[in-house]
Amino acid sequence: MMHPLEELRDAALAEIAGAPNEQALEAARVRYLGKSGSISAWSEQMKTLSKEERPVVGKLLNQSRTAVAAALEQASEKLRAASESGALAEIDISLPGTPNELGALHPLTQMLDRAIGLFRRMGFALAEGPDVEDEWHCFDALNTAPDHPARNEADTFYLPDGRLLRTHTSTVQIRTMESAGPPIRVIAPGAAFRRDEVDATHSAQFHQIEGLYVDEGVSVADLKGTLEYFLRELFGSDTAVRFRPHYFPFTEPSFEIDVKSKALKSGEKWIEVAGCGMVHPAVFEEVNRARHDAAYDPEKWTGFAFGLGMDRLAMILFDIPDIRFFAQNDLRFLRQFAS
Amino acid sequence: MKFSLNWLGEFVELPNDTATLAELLTLAGVEIEGIEKRGANFEHVVVAQINASTEHPNADRLSVCQVDDGSGQPRQIVCGAKNYKVGDKVPLALPGAVLPNDFKIKASKLRGVESQGMLCSAKELALAEDSAGLLILSPEAKIGAPIGELFPNDTILDVEITPNRADLLSHYGLAREIAALTQKPLRKLEIAEPATRERAEVQISAPNECPFYSARRIENVTVGSSPAWLRAKLEAVGLRSVNNVVDITNFVMLELGQPLHAFDAAKLTGGINVRLARPNEKFLALDGRTYQLDEKMLLIADAERAVGIGGVMGGDESGVTEATRAIVLESAYFQPSNIRRTARELNLPSDASYRFERGVDPGMILRASARATQLLQEIAGGAPANETVVAGILPAPPTGFSLRYARCSQLLGTAVLPSEADRILEGFGLEKLGGTIEQATWKIPSYRADLRREVDLIEEVVRVFGINRIEGSNRSCFSAVSSADRRYDFESKLRQRLAARGFCEARTSALVGRESLGGGFGEGAVELRNPLSEDHVALRPSLVPGLLGALERNVRAGAKSVRLFEIGRAFFPPDGAEARRVALLLSGQAESQANWRGGRARPLDLFDLKGALEALGLGSLRLERSESPNFALVTNVFSEKRQIGVAGQVSSAHAAPAGATAPVFLAELNLPNDFEITTQTRRFQDLQRFPSITRDIALFAPESITHAAILSSLTSGSEPLLVEVELFDLFSGKGSADSGGDRKSLAYSLTYRDKNRTLTSDEVNAAHDRIRERLRSELGVELRE
Repeated sequence: MMHPLEELRDAALAEIAGAPNEQALEAARVRYLGKSGSISAWSEQMKTLSKEERPVVGKLLNQSRTAVAAALEQASEKLRAASESGALAEIDISLPGTPNELGALHPLTQMLDRAIGLFRRMGFALAEGPDVEDEWHCFDALNTAPDHPARNEADTFYLPDGRLLRTHTSTVQIRTMESAGPPIRVIAPGAAFRRDEVDATHSAQFHQIEGLYVDEGVSVADLKGTLEYFLRELFGSDTAVRFRPHYFPFTEPSFEIDVKSKALKSGEKWIEVAGCGMVHPAVFEEVNRARHDAAYDPEKWTGFAFGLGMDRLAMILFDIPDIRFFAQNDLRFLRQFAS
Repeated sequence: MKFSLNWLGEFVELPNDTATLAELLTLAGVEIEGIEKRGANFEHVVVAQINASTEHPNADRLSVCQVDDGSGQPRQIVCGAKNYKVGDKVPLALPGAVLPNDFKIKASKLRGVESQGMLCSAKELALAEDSAGLLILSPEAKIGAPIGELFPNDTILDVEITPNRADLLSHYGLAREIAALTQKPLRKLEIAEPATRERAEVQISAPNECPFYSARRIENVTVGSSPAWLRAKLEAVGLRSVNNVVDITNFVMLELGQPLHAFDAAKLTGGINVRLARPNEKFLALDGRTYQLDEKMLLIADAERAVGIGGVMGGDESGVTEATRAIVLESAYFQPSNIRRTARELNLPSDASYRFERGVDPGMILRASARATQLLQEIAGGAPANETVVAGILPAPPTGFSLRYARCSQLLGTAVLPSEADRILEGFGLEKLGGTIEQATWKIPSYRADLRREVDLIEEVVRVFGINRIEGSNRSCFSAVSSADRRYDFESKLRQRLAARGFCEARTSALVGRESLGGGFGEGAVELRNPLSEDHVALRPSLVPGLLGALERNVRAGAKSVRLFEIGRAFFPPDGAEARRVALLLSGQAESQANWRGGRARPLDLFDLKGALEALGLGSLRLERSESPNFALVTNVFSEKRQIGVAGQVSSAHAAPAGATAPVFLAELNLPNDFEITTQTRRFQDLQRFPSITRDIALFAPESITHAAILSSLTSGSEPLLVEVELFDLFSGKGSADSGGDRKSLAYSLTYRDKNRTLTSDEVNAAHDRIRERLRSELGVELRE
């Protein structure tokens, strides 16, 4: 035969299980466990019980109270969860997310960031130099004869005082070697200026990354390895890279670099992406003259240098057809490169 | 320069396949920029002579020609061209011929008149892009000969010759290079050097500018048109045929690289003097234009006047004409830099100056003269003088120097066998004067003045050895962080922060246009001496003109919200000193598009700008009102004690030209310049363990009382428990009922905390009451309950 407490407990559990809402649940709690609840009433009756009965009933009482309390807790949690998700079921999850107003970095900045990141992986530090330069840093020190066509007023912007806007970032090679002895391992991102008629592929100002590595035993193989790594990281590992002998006054031997990749729009066509070469001994000699020392002894030190056109690389990489987009700063253009 | 493969093939055996040749040259540093097929090798197209021409009876624009096609039978052709005369020889397409674009020629009737074929223009034979009228052939062309004999198939290479390789500016020179690269024999030039003598007839008064000059007199010349083969050769590489004498000089230049000039001997008075121009001397050149010369320019003169600008262009009056009977043939060496200067100053580049300014081969000067003389004899019937008169000294051949084989391998990063290096250098015509297993001394040929030291020889070796045979290596290594690295990282952080706040990065030109000068944001800009266009005339003294230009473009494109920034260099007057700056520009709506989450559309304002500036992390910023004609409202921006820039609302004088429809806000700040020391890193501060208590204060204040004044009053009472004050509401509506007249309503939230214990309500209330009381008594504001 069931003890009345057990009957009471089962009735409570049934009522709790059937409670449709929090109010019904609360009513059940008050009815069974409240101060004057029916289960609570049994603790009052305890003292009226015999010594033998008391522990039995006491145990039963505790168990019943615990079971009912747990059932209440569980039922209440279930009801809360149901009402919560019930309310949320109405939400139209197809509505757009809160729009963000992220801006965008200029594609040239993104190109520079990528390129700089790759060279930093190889242990190049950054270097810099001024845009307004003297002829010595831009030409003489770079083994460019006084009558070289590049010095032409037709090709180079001059200031009234005879200084000029650097026509390449190679000036930073000289600035760096003037201020520090070998070994040198730097890249110099920066602007350069040429007196070109502006069209789809030319602008008065463009952006380069210059590189210079001077150390003992630096070779064409090192130059090749460095730029092959860079270009394959940039354009993809299956990019074909071709070094083609060329002429620059400040490197000997000199090369232009072409790449070819199916991933690019140019497809099977070689496209020129950089100029490079081994630092001409005459450049070291001229730097030594300026330094009044023999720090850059061309017999002891060799080096490579390169120049990468950032506008051109960005145009290739982002498939931008006209260099003029870079300077126009049209938001419709800039936002395309938000990432 | 354009090269004919047929012509090159006269000197060296070429690879069968043009693509192979192009690849070979390109990979040796002689870049092929274009390959063009030439020639008119059509069946049933022959040389015909027009014997008669009458008007077409039924068509004004047509004529009826009787032509001799060499068959013995006269042939009638209806023709629409007008550029011929009876007696001319022209290409005739016979019935059965198939011209380009599958144009089949048939006998037909044109407006009722029979036409047995077609007389052709250059375009119809695909010999020219465009042509007016019939292609008039040389009078020497043989009637009835297939047209392919006059225009044989050829391939024209367009070659980029780097400025150091003057020796490649001729067919013989490029053939010599190909022979070296393919290790095929080069046909020897069978030209003997002529007998020379120094005589008073030729004087050099400017030996620096003209170290060597030669002149040969050739009598009995018959000037006329050139034979077909000569014309074809010149035209194949893009030169126009002039007359046989001029054509021969051009031919020799293209063949051997030495520019020549022929004077009409009858127009020369006395001997030749090579001298510098006199002050303000003028010269009428071959192109019919008069040039104003300066005292550094070289002239070829006779006893009376100048007859040529040395190495650049001959004179109009002394040129060879149909009437010329005797010529003086010039072949000389001119100092390259002087030629370059003259051609540039006069803006008169010529095929001759192009070669002289790069340096011609001293060993070819007299031989080229001899070669031209021989052709003048053959073609123009000339009778040359026995001697060539010379003056001056030929430049010395390049001195020899040595190549260390180990150095070569070391610089290339791969082992090159001495025997292979030797073979390569010998292929280029260098002569080994002696050596050991370690090094060898080399004699440099006269045409390779670009080879001056060991490293130049190493370059020759690698060009043929092939850089593809050199395995790339990895020399990555540690590098210390430089100040430029720190600057770059710092600026990257600023860029990221601004992009995160919705700004797009602009990169405007460091060169500003004329319209930016003379006041405003471009004031004091350092101007260029030689701008190219009005858009780029001066170095920007500020990033603002560029951003205003970008604003204009975007407003025109319909942008509703413009938020731009730029980080870059500005150049200060008077000398263009450089400094790095950041500039921000805001105009339009706060959100670029209406969206379903957004509240009321709100225009961007000064506080959006201020917030963006504060987000840069340039220290605690303070704005102080200032004045500037460029701004309607301007503030000086201070970081700590230092003024670092300005911020404000641009005056409509600047905003209106940009087409702005909303107020334009902008700021420009100097960026720190010193990145030698790593910026102080942040230090940890212990987290607060005890809870804070927040109390609000709402008040009405006259419009004249600033937030700063209220804040100062709130915080100046040395209340140790007050840790934070925040403005959380502001309503400023003039005359609005809510604020009651010229007042504004503000609400502040004050946070109280002690780091060592939990505060009681009572002590916070007491502090809060003191603060309220001080606010009321100090500022006279009305506190709301």
